[in-house]
Amino acid sequence: MRPPVVDLDGVAKTYGDVAALADAHLTVRRGEMLAIVGPSGSGKSTMLNIMGTLARPTAGTVRIDGHAVDDLSDRELSALRARTIGFVFQSFHLAGGVPALDAVADGLLYSGLPRGDRRRLAEAALRRVGLGPRLYSEPHQLSGGEKQRVAIARAVVGDPPLLLADEPTGALDSRSGAVVMELLHELHGAGTTVVVITHDRDIAESLPREVRIKDGRIEHDSAALRQEAVAR
Amino acid sequence: MSTLTPPQPAPSPAPEPSPARRPKPARLSLADVIRTGGSGLRSRPMRVFLSALGIAIGIAAMIGVVGISTSSQEELSRKLAALGTNLLTAEPGQSFTGEQAHLPDDAVRMARAVPEMESVSAIGKTDAKVYRNDRVPPQETGGLSVYAARTDLPDTVGIEVTGGRWLNAANTKYPAVVLGSRTAQQLGIDEAGPDAQVWLGDRWFTVIGLLAPNELAPELDSAALVGWPAAERELGFDGYPTTVYTRAEEAAVTDVQEILGATVNPESPNEVEVSRPSDALAAKQATDDALSGLLLGLGAVALLVGGVGVANTMVISVLERRAEIGLRRSLGATRGQIRTQFLCESLLLSALGGVGGVALGIAVTTGYAGYQGWPTVVPLWAMAGGVGATLIIGGLAGFYPAVRAARLPPTEALAAA
Ligand SMILES: Nc1ncnc2c1ncn2[C@@H]1O[C@H](COP(=O)(O)OP(=O)(O)OP(=O)(O)O)[C@@H](O)[C@H]1O
Ligand SMILES: [Mg+2]
Repeated sequence: MRPPVVDLDGVAKTYGDVAALADAHLTVRRGEMLAIVGPSGSGKSTMLNIMGTLARPTAGTVRIDGHAVDDLSDRELSALRARTIGFVFQSFHLAGGVPALDAVADGLLYSGLPRGDRRRLAEAALRRVGLGPRLYSEPHQLSGGEKQRVAIARAVVGDPPLLLADEPTGALDSRSGAVVMELLHELHGAGTTVVVITHDRDIAESLPREVRIKDGRIEHDSAALRQEAVAR
Repeated sequence: MSTLTPPQPAPSPAPEPSPARRPKPARLSLADVIRTGGSGLRSRPMRVFLSALGIAIGIAAMIGVVGISTSSQEELSRKLAALGTNLLTAEPGQSFTGEQAHLPDDAVRMARAVPEMESVSAIGKTDAKVYRNDRVPPQETGGLSVYAARTDLPDTVGIEVTGGRWLNAANTKYPAVVLGSRTAQQLGIDEAGPDAQVWLGDRWFTVIGLLAPNELAPELDSAALVGWPAAERELGFDGYPTTVYTRAEEAAVTDVQEILGATVNPESPNEVEVSRPSDALAAKQATDDALSGLLLGLGAVALLVGGVGVANTMVISVLERRAEIGLRRSLGATRGQIRTQFLCESLLLSALGGVGGVALGIAVTTGYAGYQGWPTVVPLWAMAGGVGATLIIGGLAGFYPAVRAARLPPTEALAAA
């Protein structure tokens, strides 16, 4: 079996007396693609932030690519993110006035690569998401779908083993959303582990694995069901 | 896999992933630090310009004050170099009983006996007055005085004759007069010559020469100078010198200054006032120091206000760019790298103001010095100090916003979008 990239064991996150996430057990192995689906406020983003080491859990242990997050300092977590995790957000996070090539190259700014290499890889990543002709376009010259493709290029420019996408199609119409999902499937096909958060059941059902979450608890995991089925 | 090379080879797949090496953040190169710091400025040019302007005005004021005062010092030292600092004058002061004393009539001869003396001359004030013509009422003297002058006066004082001739052995016997620059202007005399006549001591005198203004002997500017014999004969002059001008060897000036009183009036040296006109000239320049201090203080206040402006800009910048901070944290920036980015942005912002301020200060100095006819001198230390001060201000102004930016939790920052 492939090694786990994400391993949550009894993870909980509380904000005051709000339990955003409770007793979550989840293992994501290298090369998997899964959806985390649930209604608004169910704790999806909380779970993604914990997987992405942007937030620490209140209880439980988190292992990312073999590293126990508890053992790492804030600096070391930053370095882990720089190398291991790519993020895609609903709101693109592209700075105005910055050409696509520079925005994508910034995805490698904290990796230690020299600038020439960063730009070369950025160009390759933009070609990979089909934006070869738009290297020098600024965000205001791009459609929503194109912006999200730039953001995806930025997330995968360093070829991280883990790609976390929080509602990547949330701000897009269905056509652009479909293009973005197709792209994520391609990246998965090329070996990247992809975790997609969505509240769109159709999208969730189209992915190989579906984790349903409600009120901070995992109530359904298609992989676990399959394993049980195999066991029976 | 893909065509892309990962920045670091992924750990080789193993059934139980061995505890991987602890991840270590990469350092940003200096160029990347500056580029990243500058990126925040490029997107808000107007705000950057205005905050930098605040700093620039403060620095320009200070550079201007220092530059203008240095330029005027330079002008003074050039002037003194041209005029010489070895001119000493001796004048009668008050006698012991409080009456106006007078110098002995052989004061010039005695001064000349000092070995370090290069030249000696004198003028003697007469009671006569000079007028444009014979119809001017006698009380309207215009502050002009008539002096008897020795023929060697220009050599000693260094005064220049701009038109006509100076008094000489031949013309001193005749009613001939040489006018100081202000005197000539006041009497309406533009040119020396037989046609230029002034009414002096109840008779007409011919103006044979005009003098250039002289800053070491400003009393000559408002003087009318006649030959010593003519003054005694025509104007009832008593023959006592009222100012003895001496030039001593440069190295011996202070020694000569001490003995000059006793030399020209051995009997009552206390009744002699000895002075060094170049000192007075330098002192006059020094009285501007109070004003310079005030302007310097104003410059410092402007600089402080500029610094507060930069701090304000940086605080707003951090608030506005929380989403960017969150994104950078998600891309792997450490807290330290976020702090460095905003500190660098603040330093760049104020350095921009500092460089602009130095340029503006030089322009102000050049303009003012040019207008005054002075050489332009802006000391290097002032320019370096100006830029250095702005860097300190930028560091102070950016410190708190940078720390706040770095402390922002990544999830909170991302949620700000
Ligand atoms: N910083 C916070 N402080 C307090 N409560 C929080 C914070 N972040 C999240 N929560 C709470 O935790 C719960 C889960 O939030 P989360 O953002 O994970 O939901 P979500 O599933 O991503 O919802 P959505 O689909 O609307 O994005 C919510 O009840 C939310 O109010
Ligand atoms: Mg969410």
